[in-house]
Amino acid sequence: MHELHWGLPVILYLFLGGLGAGAGAVSASVLLRSGGGDRPGSGFDIARWGALIAPFPVIVGTGMIVFELGSFQAGNWFRFVNLFKVINLSPMSIGTWLLSLFILVSLAYAYTFFMKDPRPGDARHSLRKMLAWAMVPLGVGVALYTGILLGALPARPFWNSPILALLFLVSALSTGVAAILLARAIFREATHHQEVARSTYLMTSSDLLLIAFEIAVVFLFIMYAHLTIGNTEAAVAVILGGRLTSLFWLGFVALGLAIPAAIELKYVIPTLLYQKQYVMPRSIEIAVCTLVLIGGFMLRYIVVVAGQITGPVGI
Amino acid sequence: MNQDKGVSRRSALKQLGTGAAAAAAVAASPAAALGATPAKRYAMVIDTRKCVGCHACSVSCKTENDVPLGETRSWVEYIEKGDFPEVRRSFLPRLCNQCEKPQCVSVCPTGATYKRKEDGIVVIDSNVCIGCKYCVQACPYGMRFINPTTGAADKCDFCLHRVENGLVPACVNTCQGKARIFGDLNDPDSVVSKAVRANALTVLRPEMGTGPMVFYIDADHTDARDAARLGTYVRIETNRRQQERV
Repeated sequence: MHELHWGLPVILYLFLGGLGAGAGAVSASVLLRSGGGDRPGSGFDIARWGALIAPFPVIVGTGMIVFELGSFQAGNWFRFVNLFKVINLSPMSIGTWLLSLFILVSLAYAYTFFMKDPRPGDARHSLRKMLAWAMVPLGVGVALYTGILLGALPARPFWNSPILALLFLVSALSTGVAAILLARAIFREATHHQEVARSTYLMTSSDLLLIAFEIAVVFLFIMYAHLTIGNTEAAVAVILGGRLTSLFWLGFVALGLAIPAAIELKYVIPTLLYQKQYVMPRSIEIAVCTLVLIGGFMLRYIVVVAGQITGPVGI
Repeated sequence: MNQDKGVSRRSALKQLGTGAAAAAAVAASPAAALGATPAKRYAMVIDTRKCVGCHACSVSCKTENDVPLGETRSWVEYIEKGDFPEVRRSFLPRLCNQCEKPQCVSVCPTGATYKRKEDGIVVIDSNVCIGCKYCVQACPYGMRFINPTTGAADKCDFCLHRVENGLVPACVNTCQGKARIFGDLNDPDSVVSKAVRANALTVLRPEMGTGPMVFYIDADHTDARDAARLGTYVRIETNRRQQERV
């Protein structure tokens, strides 16, 4: 068995960074879609929750990868600033800059909502809209680069797939939506507005769509790896009969994708097909969002571990 | 060599034909004409027929480079193959391949790892390295480790401090069977160039496309995973902390 050089801090970063970046990108795109939140059916509430969530998981996750650095552990606590003295084509270098920009912009974006009664057309409206335009590409960039970073290594055949980045992006958006819905389900007042139900319906059906897309990407990831020969096929065997099989299929595919998708489908279908009033009990909403978040973590955990316990075949 | 001469003669004739005789003279021997010394290209050839698996190279490497306990810059693997009485044990000394296209260099976010232009040796500036372990993941040969005292990535550098002073690496110096041959590939008269010309060579994991500069003569590339296919007993002993071969 190969050594695990990247452990739990890196796995948590990949999960939290994806979640925050996803929440930020979703929040900003919801806001921009409704012209800054001043059109009817704006989902302003969604945008606000996303904006308030986005920076914090990313900051915590970033702290965790700094903690994982060898120089930090050896007592050279500030050597990580070397990252900012160079810009090169390493995915990690590009990611460093994207991540820093995202943290700054998302904090500013959260600030525009951090007032007594934020609503469309208030004093910070134009600043909020401007920052939202930056939040979408930055959020997508942060969610995407981690998959590119892992995918860039021929020495790690499990990771060395261009579709891994897409998988991470879709999962990040899905966990971002789940985090927004979870926060709102926990903290919102009991009153059930028509507007709230509508935006929840939109978000839940978007999450359903994202999960469906994620299932398709996972299928392609496995299919292409399994249908090749040599290094990649040997590596993907770790989830197709190898040590991580049950964790992957039960922990990620069943618990994180299939079950939440099935529950969401049950509540979305009546509204989608028969235009019935959308109602999802708060407890179910919380359960579904928690499952999606667990699935997102499982994906990062399995991918990071699987990549490191498999290697090239032969010497 | 003959082929090279043929090419340059052809191009020289071609250029003479266009009337650029002076340019042709320069093109034929640029180094001599400009008075520049050609960049070195250090390489190592390991003749496994002469290796007895004594670990003198591993030990001298550890003392020479002050490698922390539990970590290895250079080690010797044992490959045991066959069923009694037809058993063979061969040895595979391992060290950084000083690749032509090093994966570790292209992923390094701080530029701490780079390939020296003057001799092709891949080195790490431990004052710049942040210990992100990206290069550890990227190396297809498992050569890199994080040095616990410096917190930086560490690996074999062909004993750069010795080579710069005209000495050979410690492992080459100490090799009892003279299995290790080190030198400059740009010098056609060096022992390593002669060894390269005279022998059939293999490199490790050529499919990775890294272009290793460590070459093996008569190396046994049998992997543990070949055992089932070959229907024979194969056992790999890495003789380092990490028991599985990387």
